[in-house]
Amino acid sequence: MSPTLTFITPTISEFYWDQEVSDQLLMDQLAFDSLLTQEFNAQIQETRLGFKTLSVLWKKAMEQDEIEKLTNEFQPGHFSLPETLWEVPVSYSHSHGRDLKGLAASKNISEDEFIALHSNPLYRIHFYGFLPGFMYLNGLPKKLITPRKKIPDRSIPPGSVAIGASQTGIYPMESPGGWHLIGRSPLLFFNVQSNPPVWAKPGERLKFTPISEKEFDLLIRHPKAARRL
Amino acid sequence: MITGSAFVEILKCGPGTTVRDKGRLGFALYGVPMSGPADSLAFEWVNHLLKNDPNSAVIEISQPGLSLRFQQPTQIALAGAKAKININNHTVASFGLHQIQRDDILEIGAFSAGSLLYLGIHGGIQTEVVLGSRSFYPGITPLSFFKKGDQIPVKPLMIENKKTTFSNVKWDVNRYASESIEVYPGPEWHLLTEWEKEQLIGKPLTVSSMKNAMAIQLEELLPNQLPEISTAPVYPGTVQLTSGGKLLCLMQDAQVTGGYPRVLQVTENSLGNLAQKKPGAIVKFELMC
Repeated sequence: MSPTLTFITPTISEFYWDQEVSDQLLMDQLAFDSLLTQEFNAQIQETRLGFKTLSVLWKKAMEQDEIEKLTNEFQPGHFSLPETLWEVPVSYSHSHGRDLKGLAASKNISEDEFIALHSNPLYRIHFYGFLPGFMYLNGLPKKLITPRKKIPDRSIPPGSVAIGASQTGIYPMESPGGWHLIGRSPLLFFNVQSNPPVWAKPGERLKFTPISEKEFDLLIRHPKAARRL
Repeated sequence: MITGSAFVEILKCGPGTTVRDKGRLGFALYGVPMSGPADSLAFEWVNHLLKNDPNSAVIEISQPGLSLRFQQPTQIALAGAKAKININNHTVASFGLHQIQRDDILEIGAFSAGSLLYLGIHGGIQTEVVLGSRSFYPGITPLSFFKKGDQIPVKPLMIENKKTTFSNVKWDVNRYASESIEVYPGPEWHLLTEWEKEQLIGKPLTVSSMKNAMAIQLEELLPNQLPEISTAPVYPGTVQLTSGGKLLCLMQDAQVTGGYPRVLQVTENSLGNLAQKKPGAIVKFELMC
């Protein structure tokens, strides 16, 4: 499906897809992103993705007509999402996921059922935002949807796995935050020493694997790179 | 990596003193903010006066109280806010070039106009380049803010008593006097009612004390019925309207995506003027079409 084009300023344009968030939409966004980059590589400063949007920062003011033409001619074609699946080990212990017990109780399920519900699905990475290295994931089971906290926590440790509204995410660095903490991963999610500073790409998927607190401590002491499943 | 061997020592420091170059371009896809200078005109001006590379890192000062001791002779340039500037207890001009001798002490006092002062130095600040930029950002650069006792690496001055530019062009602090802030309609502008649009454009709005490098909050509330949006890209200059009616003007350290409706986009030209406003200052959005 073709997006609608809006020029916000002479150097920022946004493409918007008026449809539900899905793998199909993400595929169209990524296909369109690569088409744009192919056609206008020299003129593009950078592109940014949202759940239903693709935004372009141009190096200088652009002619709207030329881009409009490309938008109208866009055919998603054969683009497919990557098969890559990442394993993210998570300790769902009380000390790492301080809100899990209360959340499970509020949903009338056991903590084990909660952990199974959260760690069974494959989550799709749509884009990075909020914090450097923070992945916007799609795929949280409906049962686990929980409104954000009214008063955000002042400090959330790096690697914390949390739920906020219809999303689950991992805090890549220490930060304040309004999501409910359900666990913590020993992996490094943002590394300024490497380029790119993240290991997963939009379109790839990840799966949470429950680990014990002991395994978590071991992985903190002897860090391992993220593993493909 | 740190190059050169000269240092400037921080004897005293107010909060919110950071290093800025043009920032991190091309890293937004990993969630990394731009972190350029809030007032790009003042930033460019100091580097221009010093004949530095245009992307040379400078110090952005948002509070009075900074005191520096130079361990080497050098040349500095000031632009942006008007402040009381002393070199070795002698008051000097708030704008333009100054020659610095070994052990000179530079003190930044009260700001009388504007709220961000740019201090450029010959050759640029030499703190570590991380992801293509020296601009401070928590979790990316080793430092988020300068503090007392820090040593700022700089380039040693190669030519003794480097000739100054005999430029009489004066920094015009009146550029910050205008209340008018130029804006474009944001992506969610069309969702506002006519009444809501009228409240946003041309009406006096007040800069609140909730003001930092991430965002400037306005005091007035605009009750609205806009739905939250699916998380979408935002930029420095994006004006968000929250469900509680708060107006947030995002600045250079803002996150790269957001979930609040984006009702306006401040032009690049006006963003520096907005950044220079003090809490309590009046601004009026002027719509460009």
